[in-house]
Amino acid sequence: MKLWIYVLRRLALTIPVLLGVTVITFYLSYGMGDPLAPYVTERTTDEQYEMLAEKHGVNEPIYVQYVTYLRGIITFDWGYSKVVNEEVSEALRYRFAATLELSILAFIVAVATALPLGIFSSIRQNRWEDHSIRLFALFGSAIPIFWFALFLQYFFTLYTDWQINGRLDPYLWDIEDPIDTPTNFLLIDAIAAGSWPHFIDALKHMVLPATVLAYGSMATIIRLMRGNMLDVLGQDYIRTAKSKGLTENQVTYKHGAPNAMIPTVTLLGMGFAGLINGSVLTETIFTWPGLGSWAITAMRSLDVSAILAYTLFSAFLYIIANLIVDILYAFLDPRVELGGHSSIAEILVVSFSILMLIITFLNITAAVWFGLFIIVSLTLLAGYSIVKRLTENPEDLWVVFLLSGTLFVVWSILSGFFMTILYVSLLFYLVYLGYYWDGVMEGLGPKYDEFKRAAYQVKRNPLTMLGLFLVLSLLSIALFAPWLAPPSESQRDPMRMEEHFEYNFNHQPPCYLSCTAESGEENGYILGSTDRGYDIYYGIVWGSRTSLDVAVKVVFTGTFIAAVIGAVSGYYGGRVDDIVMRITDVFIAIPGLVLALAIIAVTGDNSIEMLMYALIIVWWPGFTRVIRAEALRIRKLPYIEAAKAAGASDFRIIFQHVLPNCITSIIVIATMDMGGIVLSLAALGFLGFGGGPDLAEWGKLVSFGQDDILTGEWWGFFFPGLAIALWALGFYLLGDGVRDILDPKQRN
Amino acid sequence: MLEIENLKTNFNTYDGVVKALNGVNLKIEDGEIFGLVGETGCGKSVTCYSALKLLPKTAEIVDGKIILNGEDITHATESRLRQIRGGEIGIIFQDPLSALNPVMTINEQIGEILLLHQKKEVDDFASEEKIPPYKSEKWKGSPGVEFTIMAFCVSFISLFTMLGQFAFGLPFLLVIVSMLLRDYLQRDLPDSALDLMVIDALSRVKLPDPRQIAQSYPHELSGGMQQRVMIAMALAGKAKMLIADEPTTALDVTIQAQILQLIKDIQKEQNMSVLLITHDLGVVAETCEKVAVMYKGKIVEEASVDDIFTNPKHEYTKALLDAIPKGGKERLEVPNIGEPGAI
Repeated sequence: MKLWIYVLRRLALTIPVLLGVTVITFYLSYGMGDPLAPYVTERTTDEQYEMLAEKHGVNEPIYVQYVTYLRGIITFDWGYSKVVNEEVSEALRYRFAATLELSILAFIVAVATALPLGIFSSIRQNRWEDHSIRLFALFGSAIPIFWFALFLQYFFTLYTDWQINGRLDPYLWDIEDPIDTPTNFLLIDAIAAGSWPHFIDALKHMVLPATVLAYGSMATIIRLMRGNMLDVLGQDYIRTAKSKGLTENQVTYKHGAPNAMIPTVTLLGMGFAGLINGSVLTETIFTWPGLGSWAITAMRSLDVSAILAYTLFSAFLYIIANLIVDILYAFLDPRVELGGHSSIAEILVVSFSILMLIITFLNITAAVWFGLFIIVSLTLLAGYSIVKRLTENPEDLWVVFLLSGTLFVVWSILSGFFMTILYVSLLFYLVYLGYYWDGVMEGLGPKYDEFKRAAYQVKRNPLTMLGLFLVLSLLSIALFAPWLAPPSESQRDPMRMEEHFEYNFNHQPPCYLSCTAESGEENGYILGSTDRGYDIYYGIVWGSRTSLDVAVKVVFTGTFIAAVIGAVSGYYGGRVDDIVMRITDVFIAIPGLVLALAIIAVTGDNSIEMLMYALIIVWWPGFTRVIRAEALRIRKLPYIEAAKAAGASDFRIIFQHVLPNCITSIIVIATMDMGGIVLSLAALGFLGFGGGPDLAEWGKLVSFGQDDILTGEWWGFFFPGLAIALWALGFYLLGDGVRDILDPKQRN
Repeated sequence: MLEIENLKTNFNTYDGVVKALNGVNLKIEDGEIFGLVGETGCGKSVTCYSALKLLPKTAEIVDGKIILNGEDITHATESRLRQIRGGEIGIIFQDPLSALNPVMTINEQIGEILLLHQKKEVDDFASEEKIPPYKSEKWKGSPGVEFTIMAFCVSFISLFTMLGQFAFGLPFLLVIVSMLLRDYLQRDLPDSALDLMVIDALSRVKLPDPRQIAQSYPHELSGGMQQRVMIAMALAGKAKMLIADEPTTALDVTIQAQILQLIKDIQKEQNMSVLLITHDLGVVAETCEKVAVMYKGKIVEEASVDDIFTNPKHEYTKALLDAIPKGGKERLEVPNIGEPGAI
């Protein structure tokens, strides 16, 4: 029976999160964009605009608007989509089936292949089977999903007669042999109609998109399963199992795999988010009539209600997936505490959320007052407890200073003082070095040994060397861009690519090294050109600067926020931790790419700065959680107790003990995400949000090449995609290597 | 019973080859309790893991002979080794909680070893009592699998209902109904022979309420109970010899005494040989008949318990004995022997 209580509790906890998601979507439409945008056309006069504003209550106070919005959502009045020219809730309903069918197939394929591969890879650790599976998985994470999709599209359109666009062959389904599609799950409909050709046709259309979609998730699950298996195989109970006389296989599959499944399953929910992110890209490329392609169309034409409905809907899906995974976790791991600790705060939050929803449904005015009452009383309560805490322990004041300092630094980074911050911190570091010179020199002895050891490990691991080589060469391309691809004299900004409208500049095939005619005149492009005569080579070289710029700024800012908030929240625990975790919950509930797209689309600003803000907003919560978990773990270790017993202040403990011990995971994740950010950036660029049409950006170059695939012009998508893949691969390999070096467990 | 001759085991690590054992010689007779003492890291555990070839992949046996009941098993095949592990030599470990699989019930973990080494007995018992031999319930997966199927079905039913096509959810409803029906039909089944033998094995190590314990997971038991379960597991395969690798280190003192008493009782009852590995000379004095002292991967002295305590021959043994804190006045006069490595 206890299990049912657990399930109910988990269900109840999703309600506040969903409410939080509606706050975000509301803020996106009313705070950042124009809520009337869907109703306004070029011919709308000011008077009409006023009338519209009156009708949709835009002039009301913001909290009234929010409650009205909330009521609209719970009564399934999700607004009107001008793209499909119908109610959003209708469009969601029939497009959802298409996306879900694809996602479920992809998910099943991914899990069913990844789990055995991960297990196999772990039992053949460090042999060629292991290396090849790891490489396969690494490619899956590093290759941009749209690039892979374009590859398949290129080969299947040019060399086979497969119809790869859409869900079905319209001739077969509509004219030759029309059958009913009551569920809109075509495979199920075909079975229900008992028609084999329809089934085959639907399956044939699904194979490629599902493969593309599955590959990314598969890669993640393989890596997870392999790591967890290796962990489990070193445990004592595996030795016990062997001492019973079980065979190697029995030990692996009966004792090892179920234990390794537990941590893997907790992350399957994340894998599902990956599918939602991926479906946006896959559906666009394969013109799959699902939610993702619909959302992209909506975003391109600034259809706000559709965008927000899609955001909300994916958050909803994702929360349900995580709910199922959490409950599954309780079934898999008998050690999980089903009772948990339902704190009073948790019960209050849940019951307030439910009450709020009910009252909103009944009466808007009452809900406004209720909401205001709760918010005001919560603010007062929070203010009171903060003041009380600070008057009781005045030394805790540093947390306030720290948080405001963080805010200041983040604000300065966002407002363009990034390099200043970097120089100032360098200066501080130099001063620190000068001040503690003797101590630093003393510390260098063991550091040097450590360094030698690290260098040895890097040299021994060819994959890390490859990663280092890739990263260094891409960084030097960014550094030497003005020499590698000198901008022409007419270019004002070298980051902007030059257009050539003359006919003979378009669609030029690559001429590689011999682009200079005997007369000394350049008559071609090293890596070819796209339809407006953009030089691909130039775009790739200068695009590396864009990638580097965005990746460094996002990772730096995100790490900064995450380190401070995560460490403080994890170290103090309690209510601070609760609040931080609920906020990150809400952000994590929305699949990353979808949220970033929504932010960019709603603000209508696709400058590179906006991309950066969007990526930071998407990125910090996950990282904060990682650091918080580390801090929580470290907090319980004996040496923290010892430091406390020695009278160290909290400030000192956090900065002397907690953060330095998190640094391993910070470095590893930051390195990996240098690659991940560029993948997201490229995805955004590919979807048409890449900082203007002529900014040198890899993802956008791929999308230029996409249009020319059917004519066999492969260079347009191939080379920029290769650059993205190499960048991501380099940083992933390096991150893996760094983890091996820094993790003491890996040293034997 | 077990004889180890000139055993040498190396570990290949990043810092080079570490010689864990430098020629160990041991002889354990039938039906005796043999103690192996030494400080941490001297190679006690490696000795017993080498004997059963349970070493990690980095380790390698470079020289020596392992003889079990006159049979040289140094180069035995993997399948022969599996017969020996659990079937002829049972082994218990230091920390019972980490040595028991956290996601399997005690019933499953002990049942497994019975199926491996006592399959015939289980079958005989089942046909004698006319009960199912292994499992009473049929068509049932692990809880995780059951839940996944259930969750899938429920999701599909709600999905199709949402899409207005309830009829398509019917097959999934059928699956749920048949699962519930299966559980209903299979309630109150008799225990299988395997279950009964597990309960018997648990009651032999004097665990109270063995039926309840068989149903529980390792983390639900206390440390002493966990170690008793481990012993029950090591004995379930009717092993003739028990290797106990510091069986009492992770337990508190009263439980330690109980577990040692249990091992002694069982040894007497079944006339087993026991190889008791420990760093606690008190445990040795209480339990063992013969003792070997190990130091830096070698046996430095081997004698009966009385001889070791009254007439130690090797310098290291003397130092080890001096290091035992003694009660009363003497405690103030314990000589400072310095680091063991200095001798």
